[in-house]
Amino acid sequence: MEEAKRNKFPLSKGAALFVAMLASSISHGDLFDSGKVLATGGVSMIDGAGGGGITPWATITGYATKEGINGDLHYTYAPLANYTLHSVGAAVGFWDRFELSYTSSSLTTGSTFDTLGLVFDTVGGLTDSVAGLPISTGIEPFNTTIDMEVIGAKVRVFGEAIYDSDNFIPQVAVGAFYKTNKNDELLTTLGADKTKDWEAYISATKIFFPINTLINITARYTAANQTGLVGFGGPDGSDKEIRPEISLAYLLRKDTVIGVEWAKHGDNLNGQSVEIAGLDLTSLQPTLETLGLSNVAGTLTQNESDWYDAFVAFFPNKNLSITMAYAMLGNITLTPDQHGFYLSLQASF
Amino acid sequence: MKQLFRTIAITFMLCVAASPSFSQTGKTGTYPPIDSDAVEQFGGPEGVRNWVEGLFYYIMLDNRINHVFREFGNIERQIYLNTQLVQLVLGGDVEYQGASMAAAHADLGITLTQFNAVVEAAYNSCERIQLTYEACNQLIAGLAPYKHAIVTR
Repeated sequence: MEEAKRNKFPLSKGAALFVAMLASSISHGDLFDSGKVLATGGVSMIDGAGGGGITPWATITGYATKEGINGDLHYTYAPLANYTLHSVGAAVGFWDRFELSYTSSSLTTGSTFDTLGLVFDTVGGLTDSVAGLPISTGIEPFNTTIDMEVIGAKVRVFGEAIYDSDNFIPQVAVGAFYKTNKNDELLTTLGADKTKDWEAYISATKIFFPINTLINITARYTAANQTGLVGFGGPDGSDKEIRPEISLAYLLRKDTVIGVEWAKHGDNLNGQSVEIAGLDLTSLQPTLETLGLSNVAGTLTQNESDWYDAFVAFFPNKNLSITMAYAMLGNITLTPDQHGFYLSLQASF
Repeated sequence: MKQLFRTIAITFMLCVAASPSFSQTGKTGTYPPIDSDAVEQFGGPEGVRNWVEGLFYYIMLDNRINHVFREFGNIERQIYLNTQLVQLVLGGDVEYQGASMAAAHADLGITLTQFNAVVEAAYNSCERIQLTYEACNQLIAGLAPYKHAIVTR
């Protein structure tokens, strides 16, 4: 990986290229397969893995059975109150056993971040001209954007989610993500410990046909703040912890699924203020007051909430799925009540 | 690691072995159980017969699988036996006179993709006979475990 960096050819871009090449080279070969029943490939979750909206499932993405390879592209758009998430990626499922995924997420921020950026810009300009100390926070006056790349892999270990209706054994898969957040300065400002980190998960998925219900339970071992969009860990370090996630889906028709999801989030940055040039913002309070911006300081305490969503996924055919959801993400860093609509499109080969 | 996989594999096989086998002697034991009025939801034995005819109609239109059934021969007989089988797995009081699913499919080399194609035909037939999706899933639950006996490749 170090070598890839030196060559100025990011590993993640290489992975994307690899996935894209695989996807195109298998499209017409004997390995190509799309033999799964409609909708049973699931949709693409925001980290790029096959699953629900925010939770990876034990299902392998795409429509390939154990006889071949299949893949998909996804685009997810979530305009929340103060942030907008765009997530674009590709994933390939191999022999219904193994899955590789790549996703690039960008989170544009607004309001509070704009205000902060403006303040820091002004304050930074002052300290720069007075003391030759520019302040670098990673927050721009307008439209600060957080970028993150996620590489994922998943392997199905045992079990059969769909056809083993005569026992309780779920399909079980283990997987991992490697996430690279590009906003070093901003994450320092927000107090995160790391910008890059891995997380691992184990998922169990089962369909209960007599009650038209799918249940997925996932345990994710991670130190992520807001899935890594706000980095990993906090002032107390970045020890990982196990966080549960649950998806409950009702099969409404053979091409329509509705459901709810819950994902436990951490509290690494809860109560944490914003740090500038090694100083907690509280020490900047007098400066802010001088500038007539005393009200800003009060909004600078970060919090993180568990994520919830309610979704409807529609599968008009095996080449397309459309997932619409209402996402309730609660507190995201400095801004509360981040709820909004979520749209995810998945194109399968 | 090897030990772990072995433990998982053994546990898995024990669980599979402990689950009911399928000699077509009665209703499929699923979790949760198939509705007690499943045959009635299908419109009784006549409704089940309609569904099986629909199933074969869609199978014969699907080039991935129609040759398998055609080569097996005597479609009328297949429909007759399948009507018995479907009633049986749904909890109907009938006798199944055909061969076991394992015996009937042993030499056919059925793939999972082909099995899934029949599942798709099953859903199409449910829609064609105006059956609710919920009732259709009672049958899917009842037939799903036959995957182990039917898919041999």
